[in-house]
Amino acid sequence: MSRTSRRAASLGLARRSIVNITRLPSAFLPSIAMPVFQAVAFAGTFFAITRIPGFPTSRSINWFLPLAVMMGSGFAGIGIGFTTIRDVESGFYDRIRLSPAPRSALLTGPLLAALVRAALVTTIVLIVGLWFGMRPTHGVAGLVPLYVAGLGMAALGTGWGLALAFRFRDMRAAAVMQLTFFLVVFVSEAQTPLSIMDGWLEGVTRINPFNNILRLGRVGFLDEPITWDNSWGGLLAVVVISALTLLFARRSLDRLADA
Amino acid sequence: MTTGVTSGVAQTWALSRRSILALWRQPSLVVPSLVFPLFFAALGTASFSRATALPGFPDVDSYLDFALAGAIVQGILFGSTVGATALATDIENGFFDRLLASPSTRTGIIVGRMAGGMAYGGFQTAFFVAVLLPFGLTVKGGLAGALGLIVAGIVLALAVGALMASMALLTGSSEAVQGAFPLLFIALFFSSAFFPRETMSGVYASLADFNPVSYLVEGMRDLVIEGVSASALARAILVPGAMAAGTVFLALRTLRRRLGRA
Repeated sequence: MSRTSRRAASLGLARRSIVNITRLPSAFLPSIAMPVFQAVAFAGTFFAITRIPGFPTSRSINWFLPLAVMMGSGFAGIGIGFTTIRDVESGFYDRIRLSPAPRSALLTGPLLAALVRAALVTTIVLIVGLWFGMRPTHGVAGLVPLYVAGLGMAALGTGWGLALAFRFRDMRAAAVMQLTFFLVVFVSEAQTPLSIMDGWLEGVTRINPFNNILRLGRVGFLDEPITWDNSWGGLLAVVVISALTLLFARRSLDRLADA
Repeated sequence: MTTGVTSGVAQTWALSRRSILALWRQPSLVVPSLVFPLFFAALGTASFSRATALPGFPDVDSYLDFALAGAIVQGILFGSTVGATALATDIENGFFDRLLASPSTRTGIIVGRMAGGMAYGGFQTAFFVAVLLPFGLTVKGGLAGALGLIVAGIVLALAVGALMASMALLTGSSEAVQGAFPLLFIALFFSSAFFPRETMSGVYASLADFNPVSYLVEGMRDLVIEGVSASALARAILVPGAMAAGTVFLALRTLRRRLGRA
């Protein structure tokens, strides 16, 4: 299989998924509305936590917006899993597998689509955030880590979503995808920094690699300098977890073919 | 006349029993409404324990005491959607039409469904209190306070269940009922369910001041952190009671309109 046809197949599959945004906006709108609501509602409800001594920003929207972007981007990836379940259930996925498209394109195509969706979600949340008082503390450069972390979450969400879709082959996978993703994201510095936490959450957050990704997304919004020390952990977590979940998806796809 | 009333009660009871058994037999539908509020209460307690020292925060032993009322309301919002979704599914698969064709009273069909939701709301409240007690929860109102919470939970389940039942009757679509859930979630978030109104500012504070959920949550919370008082009981029970009066009326009216359409 030539490189050109692999690229063409990937782009074709990505295009199919992206076109659905305009053809079925009711399915995509919640994935935009949810992070926007989360950023705004959390920032308003938990506004007072920024007054706790040692809190790394005085703007609650600066603290909660990156969390909302991580959730929205992750769900942009997991949403690809939902679509795949529908395709598997309806039999359409069998037709895709029988086509001459290379196996790797069945992963890279949806991955590209998830990255586009995540970039869209991140941009919209940022625009709404600006309106609600969000201010990057390191200018436009501070947005780069947010986009990197968001795209990373989309990539690992895609791997996880596709793998579970191929394993379960029905809507049971959707519940597992959402629940696990929700848990790993919230059992972190999602709501308050480590220095303010107490008890079990502090211990779990310290070993949760997703916390590093969230930290990476936040570095451009806190009253702290962006340094390699507070960024490398997130970059490493993005690369390793994305690679692992996409490998898991590839193995699951092979298993689907064997079934 | 007496026989008619007895038969109406028996029919409503049978339909209530059916809706409760449906929840019991499909634990996957109800487990999230029990687990998620507990998870958020645990998460909030670990995250916001130091926030209880902030100006505007009521005097509490721990954030868990503060969070209980919000967890109960959150659980009931989740649980009531499950009941209304089941009603919409009955409409979708034609079972609702069969019930209408049976000699059962029309209101009994709806009241039965709501009674199931109320029983579940009471159970959820008792469950949250029982599970959180070993983790340091203190209900200052004691047994009377806990009973007050359960009554408030039951009335709130009626209010929310009736609202969502109206949606089910209006649309006949389980997807539409589930799609309406975020509206409840918004009502919960723009209230004092998770943080006191005194710590909010600007438009958020105004929204929380305007939102009746704030007053019901604060009434329930006062039963936990201050003890039983007429004011706390009134807010915890009368606020959802007033909401229930409106939503039950809406549900029955929507039922009549649906029957008129049929």
